Amino acid sequence: MAAAFVSHEGKLMGWCANSAISSDNLTFVAETCRVIMSANRAEQRAAQTGVVAFGNRTLVFREAEAGLFMVYLDSPTNEAVLQWLFAQVNPLLESEGIKLEVVV
Amino acid sequence: MLRQGLILTAHRDYAQAMRQGLLTLGNDKTRIDIELDALRAMQLVPQQYELIVLDTMLDAMDGLQLLVLMKQQAPAAKFILVSDVPGETSRAQVYQNGADLFLPRPRTPAALKKALHEIGSLLKQDADGQATDEDENGPLAQLIDVVQTRCLSGDSVLLVVRGKHQSGDIFIYRGEIFHAQYPGKSGEGAFYEMSHWDEGLVRIKTLKLNHVPPRTIETAYEKLLTRAKNLGPLATDMRPSTGELRIVSDEVTSEASVPSVVLEAPPLEEGIEPPLTDHSLQSDISTGGETPLPQVNVHWKVNLMGELVEGSQMADPQRCAFITYFIYRKLADVAVALEVDYFNHMTLMGTHLQQVLVADNMGVRHAVFDSPWATEAIREQYVKWCCEQSF
Repeated sequence: MAAAFVSHEGKLMGWCANSAISSDNLTFVAETCRVIMSANRAEQRAAQTGVVAFGNRTLVFREAEAGLFMVYLDSPTNEAVLQWLFAQVNPLLESEGIKLEVVV
Repeated sequence: MLRQGLILTAHRDYAQAMRQGLLTLGNDKTRIDIELDALRAMQLVPQQYELIVLDTMLDAMDGLQLLVLMKQQAPAAKFILVSDVPGETSRAQVYQNGADLFLPRPRTPAALKKALHEIGSLLKQDADGQATDEDENGPLAQLIDVVQTRCLSGDSVLLVVRGKHQSGDIFIYRGEIFHAQYPGKSGEGAFYEMSHWDEGLVRIKTLKLNHVPPRTIETAYEKLLTRAKNLGPLATDMRPSTGELRIVSDEVTSEASVPSVVLEAPPLEEGIEPPLTDHSLQSDISTGGETPLPQVNVHWKVNLMGELVEGSQMADPQRCAFITYFIYRKLADVAVALEVDYFNHMTLMGTHLQQVLVADNMGVRHAVFDSPWATEAIREQYVKWCCEQSF
């Protein structure tokens, strides 16, 4: 339903979404995900990838040095889906000079 | 002009239609939130809204009771009750409970238009009243000075801050700044920006805080105020109209910490079997259902107030409860932004550790696993175990 890459400065570097989600909302969600990651680092429980299930919808986010990538899906996910997803996304981001570390 | 409103209803289609209608009563900065879950609605901070439209009957809750509770917390907000059973008895009861307007549920575009007209008139009356009585929003004051005074006094108050173009809230609890928010932003960043609205001179209304607010700010107030002062004019326009966020200049950025996280762990060793479950270490955890609890490093549960209900092997129970509640609050914000119901479960995957949070209507369970053996099956087993505990 939506995908975005947000820099650590909170700048929306690139995004796409259906009409139900505004770019402002995507920025807000990304900022919130970044805060969750940051809080976990402070607790010595660093994570790079987050998967949140909202009913049948799923928010997936992954933090890299350049910022935070997130995608909002209209379906549940599992590890196979995540691997497939990042296999599609990583080359696209790498072509823009952004590397997402894979830890799954 | 409507700035921020909330719709509480169990009817999704009606909520969307009403939201679109209410947006026409504001401008491009107007924010209308929708909440479909009555229990979650009780976790919201009603003070941030100037208009709350709620049903007389929510899923498992009487809307009139919720009205009374919210009215106590947000006496300045306008409350509109929407009923499926229009009638003089309902109407009288609604007004008796403190509502500002009673509406039968609009079921046609024409009815919705009429309802919006009535809501618009109500807001206009309110705006006219405010124009003749500026003290309604409190006196003009330097925000930093007011916050400092309240913190020094050890007060527990809610400061409703109104600038020329925006409004927001600052929560001070027992002399510490716990939370700051305005539409679209919360936490330290929100505080820094609010402290520079209208060069720091804003209208401030002070309300007594009767409950512990959510905590999004951990920095001591002295440090926070010093930073806010030092930021100077840099902070005055950190969220321009494009929606682009800028980082606070002297805030520690994530860039410093991310490389250490990315590089911190050795590669995963393949073929490591998860250790056998040691039930003797989990005697504090409730057990029920057929699915066994998988081996966890540590595991706990908090209720919807953020209080630790149960747990096992926690080095710092208070800290554990805090982080779970913090994530719970943050995901509530995300759910509102995405206009979905509350999250079911969340997985956080790191090189050393993995975490799983599972939410239900009573609380949130949180488990930490070692990454090398935390397979998808183990995580799913934990989610299943949690669901069985809920039943």
